[in-house]
Amino acid sequence: MNLPAPAPDSNPLLSQTRRQFFGRCGLGLGSIALGSLLQGAHATASAGPADAFANPMAARRPRLAARAKNVIYLFMAGGPSQLELFDYKPRLVELNGQPIPASYIEGKRFAFMDSSHGTKLLGTRRRFQRHGQCGRWVSEMFPHTAGIVDDVTFVTTCATNLFNHAPAKLFMNTGSGQFGRPSMGAWVTYGLGSEAEDLPGFVVLQSGPRGPRGGAVNWGSGFLPTSFQGVPLRGTGQPILNIASPAGVSAARQRSALDAIRDLNLHRLVETGDPEIATRIAAYEMAYRMQSSAPELIDLSGESEATLRLYGVERPRPSFARNCLLARRLIERGVRFVQLYHTNWDSHGGPGENLQGDFEKICREVDQGQAALVHDLKARGLLDDTLVIWGGEFGRTPMGENRDTTGRNHHIDAFTMWFAGGGVPAGTLIGETDELGFRPAVDRCHVHDLHATLLHLLGLDHEKLTFRFQGRDFRFTDVHGDLIRKLIA
Amino acid sequence: MVRTNQGPRPIHWAFVAPRRPPLPEKTKPLTRSELEPSPARNHQAFHPIDALVLERLKHEGVKPAREADRATLLRRLALDLTGLPPAPAEIEGFLRDTGTDAYDKLVERLLSSPHFGERWGRHWLDVSRYADSNGYSIDAPRSIWPYRDWVIQAMNRDLPFDQFTVWQLAGDLVDTNSLPAGTYPFEPLIATGFHRNTQINQEGGIDPEQFRVESVLDRVNTTATAWLGITLACAQCHDHKYDPFTQRDYYRFFAFFNSTIDDGHGKSRPEGTLELPNRPGHPAHPTTTLVLRELPAPRETRVFVKGDFTRPAERVTPGLPAALSGSLPDTSSITPGGGDPARQLTRLDLARWLVGPNQPLTARVIVNRLWQEYFGRGLVETENDFGSQGTPPSHPQLLDWLACELMNPTTPAAGEAKTNLVPWSLKHLHRLIVTSATYRQSSRQRPELTSIDPANRLLARQRRLRLDAEIVRDVALAASGLLDQTVGGPSVFPPQPDGVMNLGQSHREWKASTGPDRHRRGLYTFFWRATPYPSLTVFDAADGFSSCTRRLRSNTPLQALTLLNDEAFHECARALAARLLREEPRDETRRLELAFRLCLSRQPDRAERRRLLTLLREEGKTGSASDAWTAIARVVLNLDETITRE
Repeated sequence: MNLPAPAPDSNPLLSQTRRQFFGRCGLGLGSIALGSLLQGAHATASAGPADAFANPMAARRPRLAARAKNVIYLFMAGGPSQLELFDYKPRLVELNGQPIPASYIEGKRFAFMDSSHGTKLLGTRRRFQRHGQCGRWVSEMFPHTAGIVDDVTFVTTCATNLFNHAPAKLFMNTGSGQFGRPSMGAWVTYGLGSEAEDLPGFVVLQSGPRGPRGGAVNWGSGFLPTSFQGVPLRGTGQPILNIASPAGVSAARQRSALDAIRDLNLHRLVETGDPEIATRIAAYEMAYRMQSSAPELIDLSGESEATLRLYGVERPRPSFARNCLLARRLIERGVRFVQLYHTNWDSHGGPGENLQGDFEKICREVDQGQAALVHDLKARGLLDDTLVIWGGEFGRTPMGENRDTTGRNHHIDAFTMWFAGGGVPAGTLIGETDELGFRPAVDRCHVHDLHATLLHLLGLDHEKLTFRFQGRDFRFTDVHGDLIRKLIA
Repeated sequence: MVRTNQGPRPIHWAFVAPRRPPLPEKTKPLTRSELEPSPARNHQAFHPIDALVLERLKHEGVKPAREADRATLLRRLALDLTGLPPAPAEIEGFLRDTGTDAYDKLVERLLSSPHFGERWGRHWLDVSRYADSNGYSIDAPRSIWPYRDWVIQAMNRDLPFDQFTVWQLAGDLVDTNSLPAGTYPFEPLIATGFHRNTQINQEGGIDPEQFRVESVLDRVNTTATAWLGITLACAQCHDHKYDPFTQRDYYRFFAFFNSTIDDGHGKSRPEGTLELPNRPGHPAHPTTTLVLRELPAPRETRVFVKGDFTRPAERVTPGLPAALSGSLPDTSSITPGGGDPARQLTRLDLARWLVGPNQPLTARVIVNRLWQEYFGRGLVETENDFGSQGTPPSHPQLLDWLACELMNPTTPAAGEAKTNLVPWSLKHLHRLIVTSATYRQSSRQRPELTSIDPANRLLARQRRLRLDAEIVRDVALAASGLLDQTVGGPSVFPPQPDGVMNLGQSHREWKASTGPDRHRRGLYTFFWRATPYPSLTVFDAADGFSSCTRRLRSNTPLQALTLLNDEAFHECARALAARLLREEPRDETRRLELAFRLCLSRQPDRAERRRLLTLLREEGKTGSASDAWTAIARVVLNLDETITRE
């Protein structure tokens, strides 16, 4: 947050501050001077992407008409098998055990080429049924999710470039396999700021046995200012690192320390005229508000039993379901971009990763929570403004992979993601894969196209949202990306 | 003229070798006596930097700012040269020294401090993408800290930058029989750790060749960024759109780096590990570090269609970008087969060319980055793009003068003898910059300039700069008296909040040290790429993934939470309180003054003193003296000024 004119002697506001400081010193400067300072700062926040001299997180109106204001991205880390969940392929079941025709795989590279990669087709053992008014195929693994299909658009023809986890996650999040690019949440908050006054604009939640591969780069800000990087928030204990005052420092003492810091910083602001000090004063006030808002956020005692049952939240255990409920609470508080990671979908067939019990377990872990989130957002009138995204960094091969059990390898040519709310059509299916589920037959939707469309739904033009770095105007979609018209209601 | 399809166009300024510009009229190269500081040593002195800055200011009708006060100068200089605030005795000594050479003596003392190398080595570690783990998904720990220590020592003994360059890029290829006297024999090899700071992908199921190529690409792009300040990476997939670099140029550059041993992608252990003699006192743990080694026979290099390594095309040999001038120094003595014009060029040739005669970019890029650290912005603002899409220099003559002075020093700064000037000495440049009146100006905002020069491009004042992440920590440790000043050694584990380590794929252990290593300087903190130390990241430390030539300076609520609540910082507040009570047992006012001296190197003014005494009264009502003074210490450690170089 910056002052419009950082001139100690010519700026009446600052002269006034100076008088107030000296006049009221010893009593603690009241909120009046700070309030007027910050008002002045708000006045300078302009529409359009953040520049270095304005409050980076001030909410901004997009240039285009926005269909969605917020995003909740349910990232299924490891690459869930579309063939066990959504992309129903009876022909693949018939051909189970047959070698895949050479034309499919000639010259193609896969992960684990030198070890467990297999070439025999693997039909699913899961039963599929049509659901909802739209008659969408969903397998028995997702009984709750089957209940939201009329609010959802499925895209079965998603395609990406990279077939190893860390690079592919990076690609899905940043549009590049190279390190150093901003993540989706960073681009969106760079473009739109955030409505949240006392929480970060981009929040990351995690569940499952481990964190996602690659760690912090997945929600990093790359070459954008770090103000835009995702802030990990934990659903239990201390929700944000260092959110609790040190042991022995009561709320009252924290406040009196903050008052003194503010007064002395104001004094220095007057001395130096440096607007960075005004930004720091505002940052400390926000930090103080976060100290009460973040614990309040994760305190679910105000949620009804019915809501907790809807999500399947069992207090006080951390879980994906709990994170889904927290995502709704974050959106309610104006947070722009919430990303949930759940591991581990990496169903190669090895220990802990088989397509039998392990797969059933992870499906149970997410099914009820994700369906409840869509139901709940809709019931509260939040779904229109909130785009829910579901998917992994890639999908799984139609061929079996040979580990302790038969699993599936990483597959980048066709996999399924789903979208709900925020300006996407309801009850729709985009794309169709070939009879083996190997390649898109129609409507291939590349990651860059998804990124372009996501920004479009938020009112941002992917060709115009740029950041100048190393002499070049960088875009989220680099030089790629076509809008997926069918994904825009 | 460069011929293009559009016809001839002038060669871009940065691709022509710099020539020493004449200094403005009435300005001669400074002599010792002309640099004698007077109480108001100011822009009147004929310092070449000042002469060139002043010329531009005069042209714009703007007067330079007055000099900052002495306490500010002392703290500024100490933080800039060593990253540590001056100790109370140093403050007292400097303020009492009314001699005309007090400032110059201070410069010399700080330049020869062992902490100088920590401060300026860290910048080079940003450029070299240093970290203590392998990155990607597994992010296993690695041992490469001997490279970090080598950088610190190289800065401390002012290893000339040309030597510094050659060893890092080709230390495995230099003739160890002709090393300068006193060189530690492993030194050139340890220095090649520069290009072992690439990540290693140990994820299962990868194609190791894909990631070997990724490492080579990273080495190419990093070399181009670090030394040449050009965006060569743009030519990986196609000819550069704006600068005269073809895709073929790119892969000829690539060929220099394409024949080193594998890094260990897809394997459980990195390759190319050098075992060093045991450190004294640590016989049980042999020290290893990652180094580059050349294969006995070179790999074939081909242009990759659209940058895709699965689509190799035309074969190329190592070669330098045709558009850049410069020449190869005589290479006859450097390798077997030298002198043969048909001989394939090596990394050693590349390294020597980078710091060789008439090469237009390296010296400019290096002096620009030093300037950037002192003034918050380079003379070329786009420090990583000297190409046609970058911003033109604000002071082109000053940039070229400094570049020439780096390569061929002729102008001693205060405290230097002309006979001792050494080409490519970085300390010479530091000395020149910090003794200039331009550097010594006040950083106060000047209302009359806010419309003319809001970004301070004219340099009509200094600029307040928030301290680097590591130094934010160092200042708190130094002020509180906790700092362990040991230089070098394996990376350490200070306390960090719970729950950081489970953000990555692998749960790595973080056992906070309870011994002296708990309070080491920030640059020694073990840096995991996937789960970096939060209080470094929150203050914009480099991420270790790609070459970082300029840190951003964000200003966020998470920084406030860190300084207010992080265990490591609260420990400093408690220790500072104890120190205040111990060193000033009787007088509250003197105690406050000591707190200010330790954190800000100055006295509190009346208003500040009263405000803090008010807080002290409030706190004293409910708590012990120790609690009340911890509150005061927290406040002072959290001030914007404490984490700012004024």
